[in-house]
Amino acid sequence: MTASVSQGASGANGSGGPDRDAGPVIMAREVHKSFGQVRALIDATFQVDEGETVAIVGDNGAGKSTLVKILTGAIQPDSGSLELDGMEVSFRTTRDSLQLGVTAVYQNLALADNMTVAENVFLGRVPTRWLRVDRRRMERESAELLDSLAINVPDVRATTASLSGGQRQAVAIARAFRSGRRLMILDEPTAALGVQEGQKVLDIIEGLKGQRVSIIVVSHNLDHVFRVADRIVVMRGGRIVGSRRKEETTTADIVHLIVGTR
Amino acid sequence: MVDTDQATQAKAKRAAGLRYGLSRYRQLLALLVAVLLLWTVLSFSSPYFMTVQNLTNIALQSSVVGIMAVGFTILLIGGEIDLAIGSTQALAGTMAALLIIDRGLPIWGGVLIVLAMGLVVGNVNGYFSLFTKVPSFIVTLAMLGVLQGLAFVMTSGQTIGGFPEAFKVLGHGRVGVIPLPVIIFFSVTVLVQLVLSHTRYGVELYATGGNREAAGLVGISVRRVLLLAFIASSMLCTLAGLVLSARLNAGHGSFGSESLLDAVAAVIIGGTSLNGGAGNTFGTLLGIILISTIKNGLILLGVDPFWQQVAVGALILAAVLVDKTIKGELAPGDLLPRLVRR
Repeated sequence: MTASVSQGASGANGSGGPDRDAGPVIMAREVHKSFGQVRALIDATFQVDEGETVAIVGDNGAGKSTLVKILTGAIQPDSGSLELDGMEVSFRTTRDSLQLGVTAVYQNLALADNMTVAENVFLGRVPTRWLRVDRRRMERESAELLDSLAINVPDVRATTASLSGGQRQAVAIARAFRSGRRLMILDEPTAALGVQEGQKVLDIIEGLKGQRVSIIVVSHNLDHVFRVADRIVVMRGGRIVGSRRKEETTTADIVHLIVGTR
Repeated sequence: MVDTDQATQAKAKRAAGLRYGLSRYRQLLALLVAVLLLWTVLSFSSPYFMTVQNLTNIALQSSVVGIMAVGFTILLIGGEIDLAIGSTQALAGTMAALLIIDRGLPIWGGVLIVLAMGLVVGNVNGYFSLFTKVPSFIVTLAMLGVLQGLAFVMTSGQTIGGFPEAFKVLGHGRVGVIPLPVIIFFSVTVLVQLVLSHTRYGVELYATGGNREAAGLVGISVRRVLLLAFIASSMLCTLAGLVLSARLNAGHGSFGSESLLDAVAAVIIGGTSLNGGAGNTFGTLLGIILISTIKNGLILLGVDPFWQQVAVGALILAAVLVDKTIKGELAPGDLLPRLVRR
């Protein structure tokens, strides 16, 4: 790791939209990654501004997961550079990115289902008092955090195994929000959910936008993408083939970019 | 009106707290009821069962295996296993006898070297299981042979007896009417559970056992957590070996090597999940008391002692099936062969 940044994501414009004047929160320049003979990511240049929600779309094998994994330090690029708040960084592990406020919610949610909602929200950063786990604080602050994100769970002392798919997704998002306020990456946040639960998760993402968090959403569902994203980045064959502001594009335009007919 | 709402909310919160508390301790309560029921039945079946002497015997028989089982509980919560617990214990007892009796080392010197052996064994188990990705089942199975063999090699298969009186206190001492091994076992049980329930390490161990990938992704050093669990398990086996050799006033490569079955049974009956992420040492304590009670009851009822092993083995199977049924992973009907069910 070669840089450290201050926490906090308050933008200059005070509203829920992106703040392009504040500069990018994260910037990937000409990033390249190969797995053996397969070129998974080719000269990808990509940025997310302060408070901006960027959706990454593309077919299977387009390079979305590779890009996301590089942004979180799960894998390292062969070449190219990463900047966080204008400072060059090099994430060797997910712990490095986590320390600088970049978190991801993966498709499998990465929850410990044997543990309570509060324990999951604080996992990896459990508060202690005189070496003793401060459960009261954990439960109180988890409840407050879930309330602030309008996430409804029966009780923070319930195990996550007892929750519905949407509630589990919400707990995973709350944990990511708590530990990574510079940039949150949501990988297919609604893929495994029913219609109603998916809508609830989208509501939560919109709530996060209101709190001026920079977000990357990876999704196959263009309806959902158009609902939450400020900008849509399209990937195909390992390359970024287009970047469109939501107001300036249509579903058909994005589909053409995805399949390569434009 | 606001006061009424707040009072209702507080009441609902208290009720929810009680509900979650009860659900957490349901298995422990069920086990306690099983032990008490068995005690009631045996106290009617044999006039000797409910005597202070007999109950002390049960506690004493539980203590050495119990100390090992507590270590096994820690490791199983983390999702790992140590099949070498019996041979680590045997090696510890043999080394203590060799160093203190045969070589005439002062007690403290002998004990320190034996504890250092436990530390090394824990590190070796942990290193090969965590860094070479050979499953701990295989690593500790190999270590079972290595350590057991070393214990026999050290003494050429002979029994070394005659510890100094000060060392024998570890196995024969009493505080009031309670034998020292029982106090050590109970202290270890409470202390380890305090660490598991109330420290950051405990939370990280449960998280690692529940979902290793998730624990790693949130920044928990999974290898550090599990290496400490391997070390704790080996150190507790070493302690058990010291207590057993003091009780028997001798060391031999075979002492306690058969206790693996009882220790594993106690942990599983005590509710520790075979998949990791759940369990506690109080369950293990009740599990070993249940096993010792059954063994004791069979003797008092005049049953052939060879049936004890059969009973313990059957108990392990029954405990796993009951656990899976409670968790909803197994329907009672699944136990019937498919042919019977058509």
